[in-house]
Amino acid sequence: MRQLFIIATAFFWLLLLGFATTDLWLPAEVEAPLPVADSKAYALSEVARHNSSDDCWMAINGEVYDLSSYLPDHPSPPEVILAWCGREASEAYRSKMKERAHSARADRLLAEYRIAALGP
Amino acid sequence: MNIWPTAAAPDAASARRFVAPMLALSIALASVCWAFPEGLSFWRSTGIAAGWAGTGLLVASLVLMIRETRLARLLGGLELSYRWHHRCGVFAYLFLLCHPLALALDAWAEAPPLAWQTLDPRAQSWPLWLGWAGLLLLMLGLTSTFAVHLPYRRWRSFHFLLAGGVLLGLMHVYVLLGNEPLLLALLLIAALALGWRLLASDLGLAAHPYRVTQVEKPATGMIEASLAPCAAALTVSPGQFVLAAFGDGASYHGCGEYHPFTVSAIDQQGRLRICIKALGPCSQRLQEVEAGVLVHLEGPFGTFLDDLGSAPRLWIAGGIGITPFIAKLRAQACSQPTTLIYLYRHTANAAFLEELATTAREDPLFELLSDASGEALPDFDHLLEQVPGLGEREVHLCGPQPLLAAISVALRQRGVGAAAIHFESFDFR
Repeated sequence: MRQLFIIATAFFWLLLLGFATTDLWLPAEVEAPLPVADSKAYALSEVARHNSSDDCWMAINGEVYDLSSYLPDHPSPPEVILAWCGREASEAYRSKMKERAHSARADRLLAEYRIAALGP
Repeated sequence: MNIWPTAAAPDAASARRFVAPMLALSIALASVCWAFPEGLSFWRSTGIAAGWAGTGLLVASLVLMIRETRLARLLGGLELSYRWHHRCGVFAYLFLLCHPLALALDAWAEAPPLAWQTLDPRAQSWPLWLGWAGLLLLMLGLTSTFAVHLPYRRWRSFHFLLAGGVLLGLMHVYVLLGNEPLLLALLLIAALALGWRLLASDLGLAAHPYRVTQVEKPATGMIEASLAPCAAALTVSPGQFVLAAFGDGASYHGCGEYHPFTVSAIDQQGRLRICIKALGPCSQRLQEVEAGVLVHLEGPFGTFLDDLGSAPRLWIAGGIGITPFIAKLRAQACSQPTTLIYLYRHTANAAFLEELATTAREDPLFELLSDASGEALPDFDHLLEQVPGLGEREVHLCGPQPLLAAISVALRQRGVGAAAIHFESFDFR
């Protein structure tokens, strides 16, 4: 048991160190451009028409996102996120649970689903 | 710390050996099955499942540290329960190490730089800091748990880090998930287990008050204290041990910690005698204990000499390990041919030698073979040659661990089956 503990702990810290120094030992990749031109804009009334699980748009922080394909991957129970389809969901995104914001990783992930800016 | 006896392995007790691991496995599996995600990536699912397996095992580990007579018996004895308490803690820790790593690998699959973003505490909020703090406390606590050369009191203090780690880990899950039914059930079990252990056991609210009535010194560096119940007496049988915390007397200041001591005599009025050898700071101080001191007892625990069966017996005692056998001999005459091999360094260290010799003269079924080996290991071959029908005997061993290991090897070499050898050398760590 003692040996198992020592080996597992050492392995854990080594992996952690490996992740923390990814920039040093892994060549940087060129990021693909976002799939949508910045000039496009949708009004909230248009967003509101996409309010189902098959066709789910949300307005978050001045941008419009099509999250239809992401919904099955979201870790929360479906009803939590479905309720925000077709709506302005900035506040919900900032305080998803018990006033907790989404992680930096979630922000990166969200950007991939942006389809337009939120227009008047 | 005293060496004490434990559970022999009668049939019922053998079946109970599986209760503790099954309990731990059930809680862990129930947690994983309940929380297992659908439709997520492999690594994310693995991370979530590992987190829940670790949480379930941590809760099981808390249940297995409860010191309660009936529960201990159900779980196959306190020693076995503690052994699985340790195992569950270590396996929980391994799963919990996998939890963040698997989540990082999930992010890695998306883009390698995201893996560290998933782990980096600077990029996270306080619910995840709770998880990190809990994991680090578990790491520190387990490091000290495996430091076997640490003085007992310091070791015990560091062990509380583990309780802190478990609490922070459970808080981490709670703030992420909220009032989920299974999580609430796990929290309730954890709170009850921790509460029982801290209040009933460590603070002694469930302990039985006794008073020291007499103290004798049967050997060098060893006392035998007679204890009389102040209220309801414990029902103790020979071979069992109690946990005792000694208070203050007129000129004696007790250390107040619970330590295990094997009972050396029991009478009809519920009075007990326990043997205490000076092995650590607390038991060293107890050599000066006096009549009138209040002592709190928990237990009894162990089934070492229960259900001895009808086969001839061989008892082998090393030093203080004589205690359960003297308790059995004092309680009743032998019903089967019984040979006691009593091993000690010097005659001055051999407690009850005269009493045992008297019993051997008076009881035709009881034979005593004593051996003072000095600083060397006893000559097992010579001793075992003197035991007739060795292969047909049920063998009970009690003494220091290295001695038990050496004797077990000698017995196996002489054809004694593993199932016929019963021993326990319990260490609180």
